[in-house]
Amino acid sequence: MVHASVQEIELNSTSEGNMRSIFFLPISLTVACACLMGDARATDKVLLQKQLSTQVQPLLREHCLGCHSGAEPEAGLSLEHFDSPKAFLKGRRIWEKAVQRMALGDMPPKESNKLDDAKRKFLIEWITSTIKDFECGLTPNPGQVTLRRLNASEYRNTIRDLVGIDYKPAENFPADDVGYGFDNIGDVLTLPPLLMEKYVIAAEEISEQAIMTPPADKQFEANYAGNQLMLKDGQNSGDMILTLASTADAMIEEQIPWPGAFQLTVTASGDQAGNEPCKMQVLVDDKPVKELVVRNSREQPEDIKLPLRLRAGKRKIALRFTNDFYVEKKGDTPQQDRNLHIHYVSLTGTQASKAKLDPTKLSKSHKAIFFVEPKTDADIPKVTRTVIERLTSRAYRRMATPEELKALTDMAAALQADGESYEASIQAVLQALLISPKFLFRVEPPRGEPGGEQRGEPRGEPRGEGLEAYRNLDDYELATRMSYFLWSSMPDDKLLALAWGKKLRTGTTIEDQIKRMLADPRSNEFIDNFAGQWLTLRKLKSFKPDPQMFPKWNDDINKLAYFETMNFFRGAIREDLSIMRLLDADFTYLNEPMAAYYGIPNVKGNNFRKVSLEGTNRAGLLTHASVLAVTSNPTRTSPVKRGKWILDNLLATPPPPAPPGVPELKEKGELVGTLRQRLEQHRADPACASCHKLMDPLGFALENFDAVGQWRTQDGGQAIDPSGELPDGSRVNGVAQLRQTLLTKNKEQFARCVTEKMLTYALGRGLEYYDKCAVDKIMAALQKNDYKLSTLIIEIVKSDPFQKKGEREPE
Amino acid sequence: MSRRINRRTVLRGAGVAVCLPWLEAMMPRTALGAAAAKAPLRLAFLYVPNGMHMPDWTPDKEGPGFDIKPTLEPLKHLKDKFSVLSGLTLDGARAHQDGGGDHARSAAAFLTGAHPKKTDGADIHNGISVDQAIAQAVGDQTRFASLELGLEGSSQAGSCDSGYSCAYSSNLAWRNPTSPLAKEMDPSAVFDRLFGSGDKKEDTKTSEVRKSRRKSILDFALNDAKKLQSELGAADRRKMDEYLYAVRDIENRLVKSEKLRVGEDGIPNYPRPAGVPRELDEHCKLMLDMLALALQTDSTRVATFMFANEGNNRGYPEIGAPEGHHDLSHHGGSAEKQTKVAKINRFYAERLAYFLDLLASVHEGESTLLDNSLIVYGSGISDGDRHNHDELPILLAGKGGGRVRSGRHVRFAPETPMCNFYVWMLNQFGVKADSFGDSKGKLEGLS
Repeated sequence: MVHASVQEIELNSTSEGNMRSIFFLPISLTVACACLMGDARATDKVLLQKQLSTQVQPLLREHCLGCHSGAEPEAGLSLEHFDSPKAFLKGRRIWEKAVQRMALGDMPPKESNKLDDAKRKFLIEWITSTIKDFECGLTPNPGQVTLRRLNASEYRNTIRDLVGIDYKPAENFPADDVGYGFDNIGDVLTLPPLLMEKYVIAAEEISEQAIMTPPADKQFEANYAGNQLMLKDGQNSGDMILTLASTADAMIEEQIPWPGAFQLTVTASGDQAGNEPCKMQVLVDDKPVKELVVRNSREQPEDIKLPLRLRAGKRKIALRFTNDFYVEKKGDTPQQDRNLHIHYVSLTGTQASKAKLDPTKLSKSHKAIFFVEPKTDADIPKVTRTVIERLTSRAYRRMATPEELKALTDMAAALQADGESYEASIQAVLQALLISPKFLFRVEPPRGEPGGEQRGEPRGEPRGEGLEAYRNLDDYELATRMSYFLWSSMPDDKLLALAWGKKLRTGTTIEDQIKRMLADPRSNEFIDNFAGQWLTLRKLKSFKPDPQMFPKWNDDINKLAYFETMNFFRGAIREDLSIMRLLDADFTYLNEPMAAYYGIPNVKGNNFRKVSLEGTNRAGLLTHASVLAVTSNPTRTSPVKRGKWILDNLLATPPPPAPPGVPELKEKGELVGTLRQRLEQHRADPACASCHKLMDPLGFALENFDAVGQWRTQDGGQAIDPSGELPDGSRVNGVAQLRQTLLTKNKEQFARCVTEKMLTYALGRGLEYYDKCAVDKIMAALQKNDYKLSTLIIEIVKSDPFQKKGEREPE
Repeated sequence: MSRRINRRTVLRGAGVAVCLPWLEAMMPRTALGAAAAKAPLRLAFLYVPNGMHMPDWTPDKEGPGFDIKPTLEPLKHLKDKFSVLSGLTLDGARAHQDGGGDHARSAAAFLTGAHPKKTDGADIHNGISVDQAIAQAVGDQTRFASLELGLEGSSQAGSCDSGYSCAYSSNLAWRNPTSPLAKEMDPSAVFDRLFGSGDKKEDTKTSEVRKSRRKSILDFALNDAKKLQSELGAADRRKMDEYLYAVRDIENRLVKSEKLRVGEDGIPNYPRPAGVPRELDEHCKLMLDMLALALQTDSTRVATFMFANEGNNRGYPEIGAPEGHHDLSHHGGSAEKQTKVAKINRFYAERLAYFLDLLASVHEGESTLLDNSLIVYGSGISDGDRHNHDELPILLAGKGGGRVRSGRHVRFAPETPMCNFYVWMLNQFGVKADSFGDSKGKLEGLS
């Protein structure tokens, strides 16, 4: 009965064409059809509901709900209560996984009531079309990326490109957390206070390194009250004032820090008597320098200033009262007594720094920032503004707004008014820019940059009545996304200029720019950050195999193995190869030590170069020592991990996590025998089997490579058996057959996986169900272009999620 | 009054690490002054991953006469300074329909008692951790409200645990449900942060200039961010909240460091570490030294320390356990693997003993730093093979300034939430709370 109805449905589906055909039609066509559905939709809904209750639910009841229902459903996954097509839409995440497992052929499990192929196909198609129906309407949601903070490597690269400083301490910023396999995911990049503190310090250090300032003037100052002077025959009048009543010296002794001009200021007064005013001779190191005249009375002391040229070192400066005069009272003539009072002495000096920087000694960073020079002091305000405008626009990766400019130039002007040099004021501005959220985050406001609308930024097509259009990113935002995607850094002047002229979306500019960017050495960052994380090879850093068991592996090989894969990926991009070659390339990139590690002769020197693998047991990524090691345990291979790695990273079908019922294992006895036997015992447990039969056979096919990627035919005296049975019943024996299987049966799945991983990386967010529309389009383009890597990159950049700003859908 | 020893004089002669105990003459005025009145209460959580070989951990006997099992033998000489707490449970770490991911959940729930939301990135959600709840109450009394330290940064790539973002498995401290606090793993960076960099010659004038400029620039940043925030959508605004919080935190600390300035004599006799040592053992010692210094100098009163991220699969060839820790912990009943797990457990217990010895060597008036501390050591997983989150291996060291009767094995009723323990802890710090996380009351019988 059921069988008959399935056929009926297949007939229906053929006649309606547009709905359930995705598995048979080219994907681009499906997308086109989905857009044309229009009025057909209402009828479809009735039909879908009917199919659900008459065919789908009975099949689910018969084959799935036995385990996946109730209070403790298998794998925590309940498939109950999906009563309407809408319920399927809402539960699409669950059903996406379910469909994957059904397509793999391991669900429902063999032991249960067998689901025949026709029914399986029907279920898969019905569910897929139901949960896809929603997705690609006229304007699928391009999604929203959460404000992305620059991660540590993006920060370091951006600083390098912004001011030409390689800021190494960025390596020690608290590690960026990883989400969806990458460390550039906006949602996961938090900003703990500890990191902000590092940014504040970095901003100081970087601005001081990037901008040179005239050295500040050095000040020397020594002050004495009169009673603090050293005396030779003087007398203290009891207060702060020193009175010299007869020929006598008052002295100071100072360590003079540099040779040059100083100023001696003596605050002095005199008791005047006789026919001349008080005289005071100044002596330096006992040599008379000048005689000063003190005319004022004690009540009105005066500051007498004397410029002195002094040599560096300990100097003795003496003030000598030279014209003592005393006549005793004689009859009517009163006593005449001439005395000198010294109130204060100060010695000051300024070592003038060169007021201007030496133009021949300016650093490259400095010159790049101060790209215009003030000709006169009157130019300074104008030049300050020009310099700040360029610096700010580059730091913010878009034109600075007038308000932003005003705030920053005001800040600089205030500092200059405070006596700071012009250069130092720009230094402070740079410091402020480097901790601004507009620099530290990649800002894409929902409504575009201020003024964007007035500038006539593209707004995207309307989404429907009463709905605001998903806006296109403006050209600056697009240039920024491109540069962080391919360079992990800020856009260069060329990209910014294109954005400024709104030229980025014209003609083949995007394609041309991508080509240019990939040819630029900065694209090494893309290789390292994308490939290094996609293939999980960054984890190699913490891989430390037992040195006794694997003496050939060491820290150097660890690094070289990583370089091999990075060079390989870079070569594939340079030669614009098909994605498929990543799996089966009969060449790799080696240098002498790495070639020796593989036993490949005639590779000399430390440079990596393309090396043929013909006649060896190796070909493609799966035979790279890096991949084989990172999926191993410190003392042995792990077929489980290797299998899981393939599912996770090449096929994008991560095995479901271990069931929550694991504690029951406690009651079981210890597993014994060889690794293969132990894993077979493990799989005997149905709770474990469903996942392990996915992972283990893939991993076993790689058993000819040991935990550090060396070829072997024996392990512990036993011959290696690299065979296994895939969930669909086919067998693979060894890495060559595994490769073949992946490239034939899983070709599309692999291409889709790489697309999804790269799109995730490019967007900085996890993919949502609605991104399937974009992925489908990219896949269609790939199929047309022999899966070329350049097509993948270009199509990602041209995809809606990359080009537009959509919204985040509540779960 | 005796002269305090100038750090520079000491440093000049200190080519090699000067071993503790530190001279009391070098104790900073802040802590000494405090000790004279009443020594402040300090709190630290030390976390080890992958559970414990429980038969070698849990004592058979209860009470003060408890027996020390092999894992805790390195702590034998401190037997009256710590208690083993059995029966505590971390329900939030359990699956609750979310499937696998026990490692990520254990670390995330350990101090929050929350059930972290399963996500690889979007909408990360956990709970506030108890250390942060306490830091928010007492953090204004020290230069740093809390310190987060560890020996391992976040994961470098890939997924950390079954669909959970790595943020869950590598952070213990959560300032709020969405903001984990990253940890520092470079001892030289910690030292600089605590005491200023030792070899940078800055005259006071430059540092004054720096400070005043820093203040005006932070003000500028705050204004910028506030304006920007009003233009952003909800998810972005949350990011900007983090930014604003961080900037205000630094501003506060600038003000505070003026109030609680570390003078020349506030800097302990300890040479600045050179960086991250290659050897785990050495790295571990340096970081524990930093933690002890921070508590000793009263730079902070609240700290968390992760010996490794949860689920770590490092091998320990140096102690005869070259296989990966995580891999071994799934021992499948193998006696050999369990023995090796026990070896790793003991390795970390030795590090704990080193740390507790440090604290015990610092005198604070009549008592010691250890006496005035609450040090919690343990894991959010009990048996690594079963991934169970009841019967957790938890140890409480220190007398909490007389608040704890230590030197016992205390057994609580099965399924007693860890959060009951945290409610008690909050109360010790003067926080009037009667619930926290998934608590069902307050742990009784500790004091």
